[in-house]
Amino acid sequence: MTGPGRLGRRTLLRAAVAAPVAGLAGCSGGATPVRVVVVWSAEELARFRAVLRGYPAGPVQATSAGDDIDAFLNARRLAGTSPDVAILPRPGLVTAYARRGWLAQVEPAASYRTPTGLADLLAPDGRRHGVWVKAAHKSLFWYLPSRLPTPPATWDELVALTRRLGARARAGAGPAPLAIGAADGWVLTDWFENVLADLTDPQEYDALARGAADWQGRPVRAALLRLAELWGVPGAFPGGGRRALLTQFQESVIQVVRRREAVLLYGADFTDSVARTFRHGPEQPATFRFPGARSGVDGPLLVGGDVAVAFAGSTAGVRLVQWLTEVPSFGPWRRSGGYLSPDVSVPPWDYPDAMTQLLATELRQAASPRFDLSDRLPAPFTGSDGIGIWRIMQDFFADVTGAVPPAEAVRRTMVALARAARDTERAR
Amino acid sequence: MSRRVLGEVAVLDDVGPPRRGRAYPAVGATSALLLPAALLLGFLLLVPVLLTLYASVTTDGRWVGAAHFRAALGAPGAGAAVGRTLLWALLVPAVVTALGYLLAAASRRSAEGGLVRLILVLPIAVPLVTAGVAFRLAYDPDPARGLVTLIAGALTGASAETVPLLLGPRLVTVALMSAFVWAWVGLAVVVFRAALDAVPPSLADAVRAFGGSRRDVLWDAQWRPLLLRTVAVVFALVALGTSRTFDLILIMAPGSVRDEASVLALRIWQTSPGTTTGEGAALGVVWLAAVVAGMLVAALFVRQAWPPPWPAEPPETDATPPPPRRVRLLAAGAAIAWLIPLGMLVATSLHHPVDAATRGWWSAPPSVASYATVLRDVDLWRSLLFTLLLATVVTVTVLGVALLAAYPLAWLTGSAAQSTGLLLMAATVVPVQVIAGPVNEVLGWGFSSGTSRGLALVHMALGVPFAVLVLRNAFADLPAEQVRHARLGGRHWWGTLVRLARHNRPAVVAVCVLEFVRVWNDLVVGLLFSGTDGAPLGLFLYGQTRHFVANSGALAAGSVLASVLPMLLVVLARRQLVAGLVSGGIR
Repeated sequence: MTGPGRLGRRTLLRAAVAAPVAGLAGCSGGATPVRVVVVWSAEELARFRAVLRGYPAGPVQATSAGDDIDAFLNARRLAGTSPDVAILPRPGLVTAYARRGWLAQVEPAASYRTPTGLADLLAPDGRRHGVWVKAAHKSLFWYLPSRLPTPPATWDELVALTRRLGARARAGAGPAPLAIGAADGWVLTDWFENVLADLTDPQEYDALARGAADWQGRPVRAALLRLAELWGVPGAFPGGGRRALLTQFQESVIQVVRRREAVLLYGADFTDSVARTFRHGPEQPATFRFPGARSGVDGPLLVGGDVAVAFAGSTAGVRLVQWLTEVPSFGPWRRSGGYLSPDVSVPPWDYPDAMTQLLATELRQAASPRFDLSDRLPAPFTGSDGIGIWRIMQDFFADVTGAVPPAEAVRRTMVALARAARDTERAR
Repeated sequence: MSRRVLGEVAVLDDVGPPRRGRAYPAVGATSALLLPAALLLGFLLLVPVLLTLYASVTTDGRWVGAAHFRAALGAPGAGAAVGRTLLWALLVPAVVTALGYLLAAASRRSAEGGLVRLILVLPIAVPLVTAGVAFRLAYDPDPARGLVTLIAGALTGASAETVPLLLGPRLVTVALMSAFVWAWVGLAVVVFRAALDAVPPSLADAVRAFGGSRRDVLWDAQWRPLLLRTVAVVFALVALGTSRTFDLILIMAPGSVRDEASVLALRIWQTSPGTTTGEGAALGVVWLAAVVAGMLVAALFVRQAWPPPWPAEPPETDATPPPPRRVRLLAAGAAIAWLIPLGMLVATSLHHPVDAATRGWWSAPPSVASYATVLRDVDLWRSLLFTLLLATVVTVTVLGVALLAAYPLAWLTGSAAQSTGLLLMAATVVPVQVIAGPVNEVLGWGFSSGTSRGLALVHMALGVPFAVLVLRNAFADLPAEQVRHARLGGRHWWGTLVRLARHNRPAVVAVCVLEFVRVWNDLVVGLLFSGTDGAPLGLFLYGQTRHFVANSGALAAGSVLASVLPMLLVVLARRQLVAGLVSGGIR
């Protein structure tokens, strides 16, 4: 009994000591790759990894931090394990990190050119702390041409169409006019920003983003009233407003291209890749620009995008960021679709399909594109599930699709917006 | 054997009267064995708790008194979150305790009882992420996809516009609670079963012999001698377990109803994700105080040994007849109902991703395409391997550290034993969200390279208190003879330790399985502490819920794959689990 017993306990003790050491050593080690933390996940992450495989200066390790990338980077900073490069979903984060001195100065490639005003968002103190690596065209409506022969050209036509289709849907004689993924707060803020951009000049819009203008002022009121006019149409959404608030964005695409419960959908350029997965039959969805007040004139183009930054002290990171701005770098992702470059020197014919070529051309020709407002706001106003402007817009949506009169809903929302802006300002 | 009695006399003198724990080595050199556990808990629990307390009353090192508390509790929605946390901590344990007792009693002494209990135990093993996915699929607001919505619509005769939405702002907490009850009832059933089996049946016979009614039997032969304490233990366990609702809310509640579902755990995470802010710390302190107070109240109930020491003689053969047919049917019905969520999850996973996202599983042809999609995903394999490695490393380390610490602690008796028990319990119940920021700070002091090391350390610190508690009690409960033999047989303390551990196999197995399953099933620790070098499974699945409906096929398949190993472990080790926990459970 003693022989095997002794062997057993020695083995046990050795295993107890050795296993954690060996196990944890296994997690690190090898050549030191450049570490990139990104907001993308799933398909997008796979595409980005394909891009990184072309990096000539060595291996790059990309990890997804998802929507919580800010919390993730904060924690890594505390632990002293910041990555070399991060791809951030909002310029507001770049401003905040730059102010805290976390970021290195970066320089894009010589050929790199972005639409007017976009680059300034990443250089709050005159020094450039990040570069745009992916753009989003956020002023699009999607529909199946067989369901809607003539798309509306102005906001008033859109409202009239919604009223007409809504009445028909309530009678059970056809699909609802609009699908909306109101469970995702960013869908609602993007609606709001498109309308706001149409109602303000660039200076007013910028002032709101910078926290220099009053959220209880006239443009905000006008934009909210417009939204209330449309969203409040009875029968506007399949299943009603309550149901729309539980619908995520991708599901709203399914409602239009597959289930055909709704005719129209507002969504950015990446709607295309979702529609491709779920569409039924050969018919492809078509697009029209977010309608403005005037006929024949496109409203301002709303753009969003992701930014690459390098953390202070990482020369490898700075080099990688510069490489990402070279035209050929994102080639693999461009060719596989679902990617729009913020670099207007990329020729439109470099994109695989007519749709993306058109969007790239629009981005190229946009006189004064407006950048996504909520993405520029500081945290927590910028919004996340249950927080900030996302939450405020969802409450507004619930109000106007519920029984609250539009004027009262607008008043409540403006109070909430002003309070959130004030609290955020005080915390800074 | 009998001759060796003479040789034992000296030991007997040393040991003294057969009091619990007296046969163990004196506190002295061996108290150094406590060092690993003390370092882990000191740095990763005690210091962070103190830092949280400090942060709750200061801003940049300046004393601000109760300002953070006023701001945090006065913020819109904070009162509702506190109220909802209390509702969870009172209502859910009450339901789980009542259901657990009923099902334990109904499934006793019948042929199918074993199977019924096995089915009820399965959900304990399943990650809460999986439970959340299964219930969100069932509660999908679209009647074409969500079976429960379809049935609710048919029953109430409501149209698509007015059908009750279980994930909507009014009912979301009910939906979350149902998932939680589903997951936790099995635990209550197991504990009640053990307690009921420990009640000597002669007691019931005696009550009946004196003309006692059914109610008298329940009251005098079950409730007063034992069930009162068991109820207290189950209630406390579940109440403390409700801090795990965090995982469920993240998975189940759509973004627009997060606030209506919010509890303190979520609120703290939203206020200070991964870092420390004054307001987050203030909320954390409130929660910490409530949890510790709840634990103290529970400890009052169970101050005496629980459950009572095993009877010296084998229990009398139980001649009581099985429960009536009606009751047995109830138990069988419950078992079937408990299988439904897992069944729906598997059914959804067995459909093409496009069908899973657009139609109900009952209306589309089966396919393995969702599994093919998931299995082709390199990230899934990476995170499976990473989680396996992490869980193994953490389990082995926790077992080692806990065995070392339990050995000297088992020697303690009286108030010293009770106060260490309370301290360990307090350490067990600290919610990790509360101390996340400070823990990250502490990790930054010494372990700034590779962060999966940090993740493993946090898991260890969270696992060690309960493991020590179970092993200490198991050691202390060993009969004095076994301890003497072990001390005579082992030439060194570690020889004795290993011999004793061998006598305590059920407790050791229980600790290993529980720890492994805890790490494997985790979401919140991974969310707060995982590094760039590996994403644990829970986090991987959570990432997929960003587009829940569009992803439901792959999500269901991934959840099924993630649940296989923990279910297998718990089912295979269920006897040891029960024996180990009962012999060394909460005291």
